[in-house]
Amino acid sequence: MPTLTLKFKDSVISEYVLEKEKSLNIGRREDNNIIIDNLAVSGHHAKVDSVGDGFLLTDLQSKNGSFVNEQFVSSHWLKHGDVITIGKHTLVFKYKEGEARTEAAGPEDMDQTMVMDTSSYKSMLAKSSPGTASASPAAKPQEKEPVGILSFVSGGDGEKEILKKLFKIGKASTNDIVVGGFMVGQVAATISKRPGGYFISYEGSGSKPKVNGNSVSESVQLKDFDVIEIGSVKMHFFLK
Amino acid sequence: MLVIESTGISDVGRKRKGNEDALLLDDSMNLFVVADGMGGHKAGEVASNIVVKTIHDYMKRFNDNSSEVEELEDSDNSLSKYANRLVSSIHLANKGIYGLSQTNESYQGMGSTVSAVLFTEENLIAANVGDSPIYLIHDGSIELLSVPHTVLAEQAAIDPEGARKLGPHFRHMLTQAVGIGLTLKPDVCETPCFKGDILVLSSDGLSDKVTPEEILETVKNEKLQKTCQALVDLANERGGDDNVTVIVLKVKDKKNKKGALRGLLSKIWNIVYNFSFK
Repeated sequence: MPTLTLKFKDSVISEYVLEKEKSLNIGRREDNNIIIDNLAVSGHHAKVDSVGDGFLLTDLQSKNGSFVNEQFVSSHWLKHGDVITIGKHTLVFKYKEGEARTEAAGPEDMDQTMVMDTSSYKSMLAKSSPGTASASPAAKPQEKEPVGILSFVSGGDGEKEILKKLFKIGKASTNDIVVGGFMVGQVAATISKRPGGYFISYEGSGSKPKVNGNSVSESVQLKDFDVIEIGSVKMHFFLK
Repeated sequence: MLVIESTGISDVGRKRKGNEDALLLDDSMNLFVVADGMGGHKAGEVASNIVVKTIHDYMKRFNDNSSEVEELEDSDNSLSKYANRLVSSIHLANKGIYGLSQTNESYQGMGSTVSAVLFTEENLIAANVGDSPIYLIHDGSIELLSVPHTVLAEQAAIDPEGARKLGPHFRHMLTQAVGIGLTLKPDVCETPCFKGDILVLSSDGLSDKVTPEEILETVKNEKLQKTCQALVDLANERGGDDNVTVIVLKVKDKKNKKGALRGLLSKIWNIVYNFSFK
């Protein structure tokens, strides 16, 4: 397997062996595989993933950037002899002598659909990207993913998080928010979470819900601080 | 119960020899699936067919009222029971493909995307793994209900500028697919739908060649039964580099007489209420 040799100026500090299906994280913090203790290096600076037969360097939006052979890169397929510069340190990528080398994957290979199989990559993305839906059933919603909140203005107290993909409001006791009143339908309105945001829909029974004073007859997307009225209940919608 | 008009085509395209896509249209269950397989030789075909068949068979069991089917224990309480069933069927397909790929060398590394739509009494459930899109067309605008599990899309969510630098070879790199590992996390969307809403499910053979806006235009201009062929033709005219599979669904009606009557009554009450109390 190829190696990464960590150097500071001309002196070798350490050598790391790359392995298939494993990622190496590079950064200043201690949870990295390659720790470079220097202020020019970000906490999580870059990573090297094993993809197919090759190895892929990705800059993790580091403050000072990553460079390969003195060129700024955000991602780069590593070739034999590549010199990665991070801060004032360098990492040299080398295959062992006689070892099969996978140089940058050609475009013809790339037309085929491939799956990135490093789980660490997935968890990194899950942590840092909004919009990639909630984690395993038991897990709490991720911190960075905004959650829709309904805050009562009248007809109730406090706030309610919209944790279900399809959140129901109406008279029936099975609803997520139960609203009393003669004109309120069994399910008066639903709020659904879609990749594009939260949408409120009228379910066809009882009086229509209102958003900012306008009746909703099918569905509309909710924006921050919209005012929702259903029967005697008035709520603010916002993202937190 | 929603009444759905459905149509679907799977086309081999212009460049590939085999068709690794699979599709399912079950009007009696209102269940529709597109799967785009990957893996050498015939493995991609095997994987996408397992996906479609497993989901179909699993969901069918709930429709036979004769036999009680136990709901899975590890259900996600942010989802309805119908959505949980659909997710379970995808997990089952995942285990099936993964198991097969471990025992048979020629199947090693095979996998598939899945995009499934299930209509319940009033709502639609869209679930997906991979990059086969599910579009919802409502009131003249088109919206993606699926979440693309590609490196490019996920990177773009964090850093659009950085994603642009990633280059085209990342377009086909998925972050998850059915059958590749023991675990996976389908994205699910549950939302009400309305008369006239149209859903388009496809493999990336279409979405690589035809933009959402063009899909919207085609849907507007063509009759439903001709839409699929028109979209497939468009992808083939532009190279047809991959298999092209398209399903188009239209919500014809909400058969909910009780609801309609209630709606009417409530309208009358609304007038009386406003008149007498304000």
